[in-house]
Amino acid sequence: MTVVDIGLSNTRSVLNAFQYLGAETEVTGDPKSVLSAEVIVLPGVGSYRRAMERLWESQLSDAITTSAQENGTKILGICLGMQLLCRSGTEDGITPGLGIIPADVAVFTTPDVRAGKIPHVGFNSVRPADGSVLFEGLPQNPDFYFVHSFQMMPEGAGGTTSLCNYGIDFAAAYEHENIFPTQFHPEKSQANGLQLLKNFLEA
Amino acid sequence: MLKKRLVFTLLFSDGSFMLSRNFRLQRIGDLEWLQRNYVFSNISEAIDELVILNVSRSEPQMNQFTDMLKQLTKTCFIPVAAGGWVREANQAHQLLRSGADKVVLNTPIFGEPELIEQLAGQFGRQCLVASVDLARSATEGYEFRVAGGEKALPGSARKRLIELQDRPIGDLYLNSVDRDGTGQGYDLEVLDLLPQDFGVPVILAGGAGNANHFEAGLLDDRVDAVSTAHLLNFIGDGLHRARENLIARGIHLPVRDLDIRDLRASPRLP
Amino acid sequence: MSVNDASDNHLTYCMNCLAMSTRPRISFDARGWCNACVWMERKVALDWEPRKMKLAKLLDKHRGDGFRFDCIVPVSGGKDGSYVAHNLQNVHGMNPLCVTVTPPLALDLGERNLRNFVASGFNHISVNPHPVAMQRLNTIGFRDMGFPYYGWLLAIHSTIIRVAINFGVGLIFYGEDGEVEYGGTQATMEEPIYDVQYMKDVYLEGGYENVLIKAEIPESTLSLFRFPDSYELAEVKLDITHWSYFENWDPYRNYLVAKEFCGLEEAEETNAGTFTNFSQNDQALYALHTYMMYLKFGFGRANQDACIEVRRGAMDRDQAVNLVRLYDGHFPEEFLDEYLNYYEMDRGEFDAVLDRWVNRELFAKVDGYWRPNFEVR
Repeated sequence: MTVVDIGLSNTRSVLNAFQYLGAETEVTGDPKSVLSAEVIVLPGVGSYRRAMERLWESQLSDAITTSAQENGTKILGICLGMQLLCRSGTEDGITPGLGIIPADVAVFTTPDVRAGKIPHVGFNSVRPADGSVLFEGLPQNPDFYFVHSFQMMPEGAGGTTSLCNYGIDFAAAYEHENIFPTQFHPEKSQANGLQLLKNFLEA
Repeated sequence: MLKKRLVFTLLFSDGSFMLSRNFRLQRIGDLEWLQRNYVFSNISEAIDELVILNVSRSEPQMNQFTDMLKQLTKTCFIPVAAGGWVREANQAHQLLRSGADKVVLNTPIFGEPELIEQLAGQFGRQCLVASVDLARSATEGYEFRVAGGEKALPGSARKRLIELQDRPIGDLYLNSVDRDGTGQGYDLEVLDLLPQDFGVPVILAGGAGNANHFEAGLLDDRVDAVSTAHLLNFIGDGLHRARENLIARGIHLPVRDLDIRDLRASPRLP
Repeated sequence: MSVNDASDNHLTYCMNCLAMSTRPRISFDARGWCNACVWMERKVALDWEPRKMKLAKLLDKHRGDGFRFDCIVPVSGGKDGSYVAHNLQNVHGMNPLCVTVTPPLALDLGERNLRNFVASGFNHISVNPHPVAMQRLNTIGFRDMGFPYYGWLLAIHSTIIRVAINFGVGLIFYGEDGEVEYGGTQATMEEPIYDVQYMKDVYLEGGYENVLIKAEIPESTLSLFRFPDSYELAEVKLDITHWSYFENWDPYRNYLVAKEFCGLEEAEETNAGTFTNFSQNDQALYALHTYMMYLKFGFGRANQDACIEVRRGAMDRDQAVNLVRLYDGHFPEEFLDEYLNYYEMDRGEFDAVLDRWVNRELFAKVDGYWRPNFEVR
């Protein structure tokens, strides 16, 4: 199982989580390893623009898109990782994303979140979609840890979107064939998160 | 629905975890003591976030701190904020590489605004926790303290908090020096210093000894999370009990139904 | 009520704090609350005005011209005496003479705290009763009464009276009245002022003269352990009292005030046998005293401190149980050599004394150490 490291995030927590579950893990910044990976995890924290620039510079962007769209490699994007898989991000102007998920990332606006604060930080409950694989075996409306200022809502009937509400509904997780991104951090969501990661590994 | 958070704060200095009483430190025990008396793999069942602060008095001893951080966070699957002695970006990076998700900044919050901007630019504002220590002052109502509570910043605490709103930070850790470690409960009056609709989540700290204190804090709309650093009062199953107590009283903390131990290393995975 | 269902060794615990039925003179109300907790409740509802007025009257009666000392405060440099002295001098404008009876096996931190206390601005006398007598009386106390510093306990009564008589000061303020705060003789609950005879009967539990005889040491070394005779006592009318009568006694508050105004420092490490670091830092024998209390009754220093924390609302009973299970009943290994040296005993003789005083219904000896056969609930 390959964790992609673009030098911008805490890969340690993700690794610890998978190791706890007994999975063999590898961290890499090398496109070749990504291409030959069986399972890919793309974590991410921080600036959209910076992250995409790193992906392009290192040619990881092509490796990821090829793995996901041509090779059908199972891929989990976490937080910014999920956002990077989308068509575009709007932080510091418009930045194109990897275009794997049919969605554009936009910022939470004050009217959106009503009385809430930005960023959306803390544990919030998710409404798993019918037929979801990621949320099997989890209690009703399970809590997960979110920390983000940007959100998206995938278009089209292709995948399964599980929702969270923070003033507005937004995508907490998306499932389509081999693509399994989550906006929340499963590695920070205690037992719920680990169960979800287990479901991802077994999917 | 966004839940409120129960936060546990650990204070580390020179190889030991400490208890603070009005910022005077008592050595309690090392990592082994902590793991024996708090069952750390289990503690993420009781709390929602962990804050670990380097409170070494004379020298940062950063490597010792990050070694402990790596060990502690190995089986701790909740958000972790770490800080203390962060003065440069590479120190923040070191913490983030050692298991922290967020960096806690205290003295540089007003002293070095460029550092805040730099770190927010690199890691995102949600990565930064502004730690503010307040003490009652004879003249100003409250004053800001920095450098381990020793130095008072001039000017009105209220004005500084308004300024803080415009900085790129993710959480505000609001601590009372006067109540710290006393077990007398939080000083809820510090919340009156915050401007209306303060835009950043507030973690209230300083003075909690038992679940009643947590409740008083969490019931206030201005409070998003409550923290305790009282290493003695919550020993054993103290945090678990406190959490159960709060949930039973209707406080909206994240629900923990699954047992994390059931998920440990199954042999049949890829 | 489950706490006291299964009564191992007929042990019961207070339902509010962790006080045990083995404590001498303890009693429980219908809810199972011990007298200290009941008293704590009463104090919350108590109207302190009449007592405050009584204090004001008492102080007015004795207040001097600013030159003579008008009250005596026994202090150790620790939080309680410092609190009382600070209040008398800096809040009520009295002119206290603070008196310390140097304890045996004094600790560095204690000495430092005493210096800090005096340096914060007090008139102070340090009395050092003859070391031979002190040692002898402490040894007899340890061996024959299970009371490791009996000599010093005697001295902090007799010497204080001696100083009062010799300086012509008629008012003495001790800090906490243990009889009232923890359950015992209730005479001073309503009438706070007592005399030397009461002191001998109640606080020294009578019969102390026998101990002096048993000591078989020269009379001259015992001078400071003897009370002034009735002629001397007649010269100065003594009002002896406890501060805890006039104001709600709060050990934690005392600590905060002493820290702020009198230079009190805490220990860097946790004190032996407990989880606190800011109390009883003046003498090494305290750890032995509380260990013997543990062997005799089943509760030690951690239990005492936990009860104080519960009563002041800082922690709940369950939290206290966890702490007491972890910290109580610590054998003072770190001071053992000092003890053996001081009492002029070898390990065998020392252990024999412990064996003599241990409550065998509560403890059994395992590998040379007494282990409890009960668990705090």
